[in-house]
Amino acid sequence: MATILFNSIQSEWMKTKRSAAFWLVLIGGFFIPGILTLMYMVYIKRLGAIYSAEKFWEKWLINGWEPMSIFLLPMGIVLATSLIAQLEYKNNGWKQVHTTPQSLTTVFVAKYTVVLLLMLQLFVLFGLGMYLAGAIPAWYYGHIPYPKETFPWGRFIQINASFYVMALPIVALQFLLSLQFKNFMVSLGAGVGLVVASIMVLSWRYVYLVPYTYGAIHMLQLQGKMRFKSNILDVHYLALIYFIGFTLIGYLLYLTKKEKG
Amino acid sequence: MYCIETTHLSHQFAPGKNILDDINLQVPTGSIYGFLGPNGAGKTTTLRLILGLLKKQKGEIRIFGQSLVQNRVAILRKLGSLIETPSLYGHLTAAENLLLLQKIYQCPKSRVPEVLELVGLPDTANKKVSQFSLGMKQRLSIAVALLNQPDLLILDEPTNGLDPNGIIEMRELLKRLNQERGITILISSHLLAEIEKLVTHVGIIHKGQLLFEGTLPDLVHKQQESSRVSLVTNDNTRSLQLLQTLQPNAQQQNGKLLLPLLPPEQIAQLNRHLVQNDIDVYHLAVEKNDLESIFMELVKN
Repeated sequence: MATILFNSIQSEWMKTKRSAAFWLVLIGGFFIPGILTLMYMVYIKRLGAIYSAEKFWEKWLINGWEPMSIFLLPMGIVLATSLIAQLEYKNNGWKQVHTTPQSLTTVFVAKYTVVLLLMLQLFVLFGLGMYLAGAIPAWYYGHIPYPKETFPWGRFIQINASFYVMALPIVALQFLLSLQFKNFMVSLGAGVGLVVASIMVLSWRYVYLVPYTYGAIHMLQLQGKMRFKSNILDVHYLALIYFIGFTLIGYLLYLTKKEKG
Repeated sequence: MYCIETTHLSHQFAPGKNILDDINLQVPTGSIYGFLGPNGAGKTTTLRLILGLLKKQKGEIRIFGQSLVQNRVAILRKLGSLIETPSLYGHLTAAENLLLLQKIYQCPKSRVPEVLELVGLPDTANKKVSQFSLGMKQRLSIAVALLNQPDLLILDEPTNGLDPNGIIEMRELLKRLNQERGITILISSHLLAEIEKLVTHVGIIHKGQLLFEGTLPDLVHKQQESSRVSLVTNDNTRSLQLLQTLQPNAQQQNGKLLLPLLPPEQIAQLNRHLVQNDIDVYHLAVEKNDLESIFMELVKN
């Protein structure tokens, strides 16, 4: 069973090669770090002061996460997840997938794993990009003193992992929508609508009920700017609950679909 | 032994509208079964049900003697298919499209160049599928269907998009696969002429009902049964009276006199009888319905 699933994941992963989702993740991961690198290469004078600040790397990472968490990451997830399912619809691939000797559970789990791995790749590329964005200007202009602080790997991974958990409900709901609707515009439109709505409800008392806001909430919490505290559960647990819930609903809807290609 | 057997298979997309009505299909093992019917007859729906792409509503489907519902994965392991349009990933090369299925079937990687060679695409392994013509895509889809060395091939209108030469090549390939490897082939088409040189068995479906099922010789026999003798004379009315004395079934239709197919001696006797009664016979011929006409007749009736 494990071998069949592993082979199926490998097969699904091969489909992402050179696909729109693959390029989106690659460009999306380096987008903000790229802009920051260019910015500090141009405004080099500011870099000296920033480098000498305490906890430089942590602040640097959070600085990068600010535009990512609220808008770019949710939008990237909406697009990338929809594009993965669209690979099958666009290429008439579902009927081929569903006539291969795999159980429907294997197909669902393999495809979902690939979506989650692509998201993980986005986070890894973003983390790597942020490190390079901090290091490249200093390497290029040798006269600026490089941050004395050793690179805080543990904290770096912790912050990225937290944002990954916050992103999971969006991944799950977008995956559900993109499997259900053949028309790419449905999952994309719903995703964009929910992302925009989530920005609008950030100052709402019950914002913790809206799973698309969790990345932004976590960002505001890290910056100490979040107005309301969740009186239900920590936002990490809420994100996991929504993730599991949406995943189960998506799985059941997929299993009970009348037409499979 | 039947490779595919459906019993009382019915299907509706909307309540009260039967797309398939009590289909009892029997595809013998080792045969090439032509599944014929005009567009919209229910061919693709039947094939999609057989492959498990549509949820079965009524009836039973057995493949390799096993129930499809209970043994879906085991059955699919021994099956190759092509339903309607090709299912290929345009951003990948031909070899990559095959390799991602090779991972699932766990067949040797050497099968990839083998099947590309088999379908006449040996030099296209590294070419992106988005640059393929429809005919090339169709060939590659056949390669995909053959990758796992299946015991059963289900092909829905596989000659779509192929040029005449491609159709002949495809026919030869399928014959070879059937004869050399014993693969059972179920092939659908809306043109009898296209597959009559290929198939051993025929099923004709129309408006969701199976109108005929049997061997190709059965269909040919039906053809002979419907052959007629036709005559044109200088006085058809009197000729009809004369002919009816010998052949009560004689009738006049569209300016012709028609009789059931008779042995040559009897035809000569009828001709003599007319001539002896001062009738000039302008035309006397045996009208043989071709298989296409039989098919059209079955569908019309």
